[in-house]
Formats: sequence, structure tokens, C-alpha cells
Amino acid sequence: MIALPAVRKGRRALGRALPNTLLIGLCIIGLSLMARGAMIPAKAWVAQILLDRAFDKSLLQHKPVKPWFWADTVPVARISLPRLGVSQVVLSGGSGQAMAFGPTLMPLRNPHVSIMAAHRDTHFAFMKQARKGDVIEVQFIDGQKQAYRITGFQIVRWDHFAYPRDPARPLLALTTCYPVGATEHGPLRLVAWAEAQ
Amino acid sequence: MPAFPFLSRSRHRLLLGLTLLLGLVALIFLTDRLCASDVEGDPDAIGSGTLMLRGKGVMTALPAVRLGTDMDVTVSGQIARVRVTQVFRNASSQWMEASYLYPLPEDGAVDSLKMVVGQRVIIGHIKRREEARAIYEKARDEGKKAGLVESERPNLFRNSVANVGPGETVLVAIEYQAPVRQLGGEYALRLPLVVGSRYNPAQTPAADAANVSAPLAHPALGKDINPVSITVHLAPGFKPANLISPYHRVTVEQDRTEKRTIRLADGEVPANRDFELRWRSASADPTIGLFREQHDGDAYLMAAITPPGRDPSGNAPPRDMTFVIDNSGSMGGESMDAAKASLLYALGTLRPQDRFNIIRFDDTMTRLFNESVAASPDQIALARRFAEGLEANGGTEMLPALTAALEDNTPNDSHFVRQILFLTDGNISNEKEMMATIAAKGGRSRIFMIGIGSAPNQYLMRRMAEAGRGTFTNVGSGEEVAAKMTALLDRLKAPVVRELKVSIEGAPLDLTPRRLPDLYAGEPLVLLGKGKMLSGKLTVSGLIGGKPWSQSVDLSDAIDSPAVAKLWANRRIADVEAARWAGETNDDTADEAIAQIGLAYSLVTSQTSLVAVDETPARPEGTSLTREELPLLLPAGWDFDVLFGGQAAQAGKQGDAQPAESAEAMDLPQTATGYAGLIGQGLLFLMLGLGGLALRRREARA
Repeated sequence: MIALPAVRKGRRALGRALPNTLLIGLCIIGLSLMARGAMIPAKAWVAQILLDRAFDKSLLQHKPVKPWFWADTVPVARISLPRLGVSQVVLSGGSGQAMAFGPTLMPLRNPHVSIMAAHRDTHFAFMKQARKGDVIEVQFIDGQKQAYRITGFQIVRWDHFAYPRDPARPLLALTTCYPVGATEHGPLRLVAWAEAQ
Repeated sequence: MPAFPFLSRSRHRLLLGLTLLLGLVALIFLTDRLCASDVEGDPDAIGSGTLMLRGKGVMTALPAVRLGTDMDVTVSGQIARVRVTQVFRNASSQWMEASYLYPLPEDGAVDSLKMVVGQRVIIGHIKRREEARAIYEKARDEGKKAGLVESERPNLFRNSVANVGPGETVLVAIEYQAPVRQLGGEYALRLPLVVGSRYNPAQTPAADAANVSAPLAHPALGKDINPVSITVHLAPGFKPANLISPYHRVTVEQDRTEKRTIRLADGEVPANRDFELRWRSASADPTIGLFREQHDGDAYLMAAITPPGRDPSGNAPPRDMTFVIDNSGSMGGESMDAAKASLLYALGTLRPQDRFNIIRFDDTMTRLFNESVAASPDQIALARRFAEGLEANGGTEMLPALTAALEDNTPNDSHFVRQILFLTDGNISNEKEMMATIAAKGGRSRIFMIGIGSAPNQYLMRRMAEAGRGTFTNVGSGEEVAAKMTALLDRLKAPVVRELKVSIEGAPLDLTPRRLPDLYAGEPLVLLGKGKMLSGKLTVSGLIGGKPWSQSVDLSDAIDSPAVAKLWANRRIADVEAARWAGETNDDTADEAIAQIGLAYSLVTSQTSLVAVDETPARPEGTSLTREELPLLLPAGWDFDVLFGGQAAQAGKQGDAQPAESAEAMDLPQTATGYAGLIGQGLLFLMLGLGGLALRRREARA
């Protein structure tokens, strides 16, 4: 007679503890996901500070300087879009890893065309606000500067992109994923074309 | 709380509302995802941007010069001689110059150019490339008819013909030969008809980029712009059976017991897919093919020796496989997924008698096991978990991983076949050390390079595979993993002959390839040789399943064939190119060597071209010449509208006979981190958790 309520009480305690543990687990998963998510823009932001320094050093030494000693990429240019107050250091390589730190210059052997790619939700988030006619300034590692003006935008599947082989004026293309606001990976890319002035 | 039951219920409602709100947030995330994936099927649906490129160039007006192509193939034994006749017909009222880009097999050697103008046949001569171009341009400017064949790539050629008068027809015939491929007792002849797929800008200097592309024909022009007719005279030297043409309908005529004539059933087909013909021998598979040619006082030999198809013991030897997988940051995204899928697939093909190990590297390195372990189900399950957990991060330090993979505790063990599968995008710089390591520590290991992603460093990987006596395979995208890995791993399952050696009794021969590979099931060893004379015996020996095997052939049995010397020359050019990659020769020496071979054997190479000039001036002085590059058809299966979208209409306005603007295709990288999604998901979990906790606390209090 006495034992029965005790058993019932124990079951009730377990019944209370288990969902609580699950719910706390849910909170922990949520927090760790958020931390992982927050790391990405944080890394992107910190890297740009280091890259900025490395770029200034590169300018002085007239040769690429690694931003941190284990980096397998080097700064090659700085692009800025004065209207939106954007200034970023561009990395060599075009690889996914470099893109976590900054826009990357795609390896092309065509001297008249430069193609840069960056993530739509970090470095190239400004592409949303970019407009036809905006001026983009590019400073190369040798100190040489070149201004480009955006002539138009193009939306294209990643595997259906082409650039003119012999344009009348040097071209700059900034590419990022499209649609700019989406959270899932998709096949479309937004390309902003700019012509040298 | 019991005092306020009413309030408690309203709190419950509040919580219900909160949960609904969270559900709504989740829904918003979901629709965002849908938004991104929906557009996959219809990329033009959201054309809010302005398209300014004309892709690779589109031609919407019918070209003034029409082209028809006829291919006449004679297969004798294991060599195919192909005559390609291109008919240029000028339908306009102007004097025209036309050029046409077309593909040939990679091991094909073009050696003859004939131009037929009316009743006259003008024969082309081999010249150095620049000289040939100068002769052609001079003749063109003087109003003479001229033809030129240039090699843009080992498998890509361009024919130009100048001064085709109004309404006139000029025939340009080139001839080439190529060895017939043989695998597992099956012979295959492949005639490429279409310049397919984009080329990779990372490997090719832009200087000649314009040479390897041509405008594409708009589909509205129909598919009969450059029709092709094909006839194959098949005389394989045995009674052919199982004739298959997988891509085109054909008719087969039986000439005699051993000869067949194959024609396209539809007469002419559009040049938008390659032609392939396969056959087998009706009787037992022949094991030896021996051909000879006397050329300029030298003797040439081609020997194709096929070892017995299977290990006589019936068992493929057990393997010791080391998988090296690159998980550096540059592999991020699709490459990493493709590499993982490839590795998982390979793990699935291990048998209980095999041993294996996995090494992963970025700027650090991990060995899954200290040394190779038996491929038991437990170990494979462990390896699978290890592979699935890999994430792309960090720098690329390939050398320690390579050294670790080459570490061989039992270098004299002949029971296990040691194979190293290297999965990487090859994004590294210390090539010299890598090559030196393979040369010094290669030992009995065979290195198979698997290039992951669209732009792997193919030069390095090919060189590493060659030095490691393995092969290079490129896995471009996730969809290709299964097909490419199956083919590679099936082949690796059964190395039939190892430690191949070739010896000659009698007059010495200069044989290629010098470094003999392992032979796998059904593959022949094809040797090409050059010497003062052919005499004595050629002996091929090796190990089959650990037991010595050898086969001798009497060189005096060789059958005369007029193709052998040129095939030898073509193989020698490939050797020179290989030495160029390996950094053993510099560019100038290699170019000069290729030019010398091209001139001596009258072959079109990267340094030599064939040029033909009709000395009688044709075009009256003062009339102008219009230049036209003939459009190509898109490869079958490619969607014109998807490729060029709305620009075709624009091109139409400016199109006409002018060459369209040329452009280069390129893949764009994945450019979204999706961190907002991650944070959002995290927030959703957190809020659900907190909400649930709050609800429970209130319940408990009540």
C-alpha cells in the first residue's frame, strides 16, 4: 500500500526528467548550429582585417605576402565600390577555401577579363544593392589602379557561363550565387559586368 | 494556480500561439529553399538581368559556304585509315574563304591533303606551321585557290580553303590513320564528329584560344548544315562477329567471309554525335597482331600482344590498396562530396582477401590504420564512418601523405598487389618534390590519380600516374562518380600481367613505350618500334598470378602495312610531349623535335601543317574576298535555349555572314555559405527547446 505511490512517483519523476533532457538537448543543438553559423561571417570579417594588412604589406614589397603563415592563398587586389562604402581584398585561386576569407580571382589566362567570385551572404552581399553605372575600383598588387563601371547584370546557370574572349575594353565580372537572399545552394549565379573606363 | 484555471488556459493558448509562430518561421525557411531549387528546371524564368554575352557565338543565317563531309574508312587488321572529304560549296555571289574546325581521334595522324578544283587535283605538302600559313595567306591574297590543314590540338584540326568562286565547289580531302582500340577481345573504331564540351582555360594559353572554337549554328537552321556520310570497309583479318554501332543505325553488307561494308542506314546524319563501331572475332580471340613497314631505309614494327584474358588459377590476386584523400579547403563543396562518394564506392569493392588503409590530408595528415589491415566488414564499416566524417578544411600538404602512402614494409611481397588511389584536386605547388618522391620510393606500388572537380591540375596528375605506372582518371562532377569509378575499379580488380619485360633477339629495335605498364584483363600490349631491320624474335615476359609467363613472336611473320611508320612517329610525338610535361626538355627543344618528326613523316602536328596551292589565279583582281567561319552543331543532348537563352534573338539582328563574337565558357563556383540558414535553424531548435521547457515548468507549477 505504501510501495505503490512510491513507484508511481518514480515513474512520474522519470516522465518529467526525460522530456526535459530532450528539450535541453534541443537547446544545445540549436546553440551549436547558431555558433557554427555565426563563425562564418565572423571568420569572413576577421580575415578581411588580416588581409587588409597583408595587402598593404604586399603593396610595399611589390610581391604577394601571405596573410597568415599557413594560408595557401595570397591577396592579389583590392576592390572597392565607393557608393556602397565597400572595400575588400581579393584572393588568388578561386577555391572554396579562399572564398571563406574574401572574394577570389578566378584563374584565367585572358589578360582582358577578370572574374571574381565571392559568397552572396558575406563578401558579395553588396551585389544586392549594386546598380548599373556604379563604379568599381580595383587596385592591383603592383599599385596600379583601374576603375570599372557596371554595365549590366546577368543571371546564368553555373555551367552555362561564358565570357568574351576579346572584348573591346577590359572587363571585370563579379559573380555570386542567385537568388541573393536564399539560404539553400542553387544552380544560378548572378554576374555583374563592368567595363574599364 | 488552481485558483486561476482560466489564466492557466490562456497561457496554454499563448504557448500554442508561440509554437505556431515557430512553425511559420520554419515554413518561411522552407519556401526560401524551394525558391532556390525551383529555378533549377527553368533558368530563364527569372530573367531579370540583362544578358550581354553572345555565348560562344551563334550563327542564325545560313552560311554562304555549305559543307558536306564524307568519311571513308578502311580497317585492315588493327589499323584504320580514314579519308575525310569535305565539300565546300559556295552558294553566294561572292568569292569566299571558309574554315571549318573538326575533331579527329587523339592518336590519329593526318598525313595527306588533296584539293580538288574542277578537274584538277592539287596535292598538299608538309611545311612548318608558320611557313605553311604564310604560303596560304600569300596565295589567298594573290587570288589563288589554297587549302590549309592545321592542328590546333592533338585531336582538333582546322581546314581552311580560300578563293572559292561564286557557285563553285571545292573538295578538300585529308587522310589519317589511327590504331583500332582493343579491349577484352572487342575492337572499337571511334570517329569523332563533333567538337564537344568546353575546354579548360586553366591549361591552355589564351593566345590560341580563338583557334579552338567556332560559332554554333542556331537550331532554327535545322540539323543539315554539315551532314556527314560514313562508309567503313572492315577487313580485320578474321571473320568479324557481333558488329555493333551504338549511336547510329547502320546497314552491313557481307563482301566475302572476312570482309564487311558498313554504311549509315539514314545515308547522311547531322554532325552532332560521334560514330562508333565495335566488333569481335567470330572464332577464338586473336592474341597477336604483327605489322611491319619499310620507310626511308628504316624498318618499323607494330606488335599487339594480348596475354591470356584471365589468371589461370581463376582468382584475381589479393590487393593492398591505400586510399589517399585530400580534404584541404580547396576541395570544399562539390569536390569534397565527389571525393567522398568515390572513396565510399571504392571501399565497397574490397574483398575479404584484400588489405587496405586510408590516409587523409590537408596541412595535417591522418592515417586511419598504422598499417594496412584486412578488409573485414568491421574495418570497412570503420573506414566508411571515417570517410563520411571528412570535412574540407585547411591547407594542402600533399608530400607527407604521398610519402606515407608509398611506405612499404614488405617491398618484396609478390602475393599482394600494391595500389595507391589518390583522390585530389591537385591544387599544389611542389611538383618537383612529388615527382622525385615517386621516382625514389615508388617501388612496387602503382599510383592511380583520381582528379576531382572541374579544373584539377591534369598535368601534374598525369605525370604522377605515369611515373607511378598507373592511370589518371578525372571525376568532374558528382554524377560522374559511379561511371568513372566503376570503370577504374573493375580494371584494377584484376592486374593480369605484372613485371612486363620485352627482349629482342636479333637486330636491335627502338621500342616505345619504354616504361612498360601493367596489363589488365583483356588489354593488349601495343609496341611500336623502329630499327635498321626486322629479324629474330621478340619475347614478352611477365608474371601472371605470380607465375612466369612469356610469349615469343617471330618478327619475320609480320604483315606489311603502310601505316606503321606514321603510327610510330605519332607515338614518338606523344613521348616528346610527355618529356615536355615532365620538365625533361624545354619548350624550344620539344617544338623543334616535333617539327622534325612532322616534316620527316609528313604529319600534321602542332608545329607542321599541310598546305596546297593551285598556281592558276582564280579570283579576278579587284574583287574582294569574304571570310567565313562555318558554324558547328551543338553536341546531341545539349540544349541550345538553355545555353544561349534570349541572346539568340539579338544575335539574329546582327548575325548575317559576319563571324559572331567569340567567347569562352567557364564554370562558376559555388558561392553561398548559407550561414543565415544555419543560424535560423539553430534559432528554431533553441526556441522550440526553450518553449517546451517553459510549457513544462508552467504545467509543473499548475
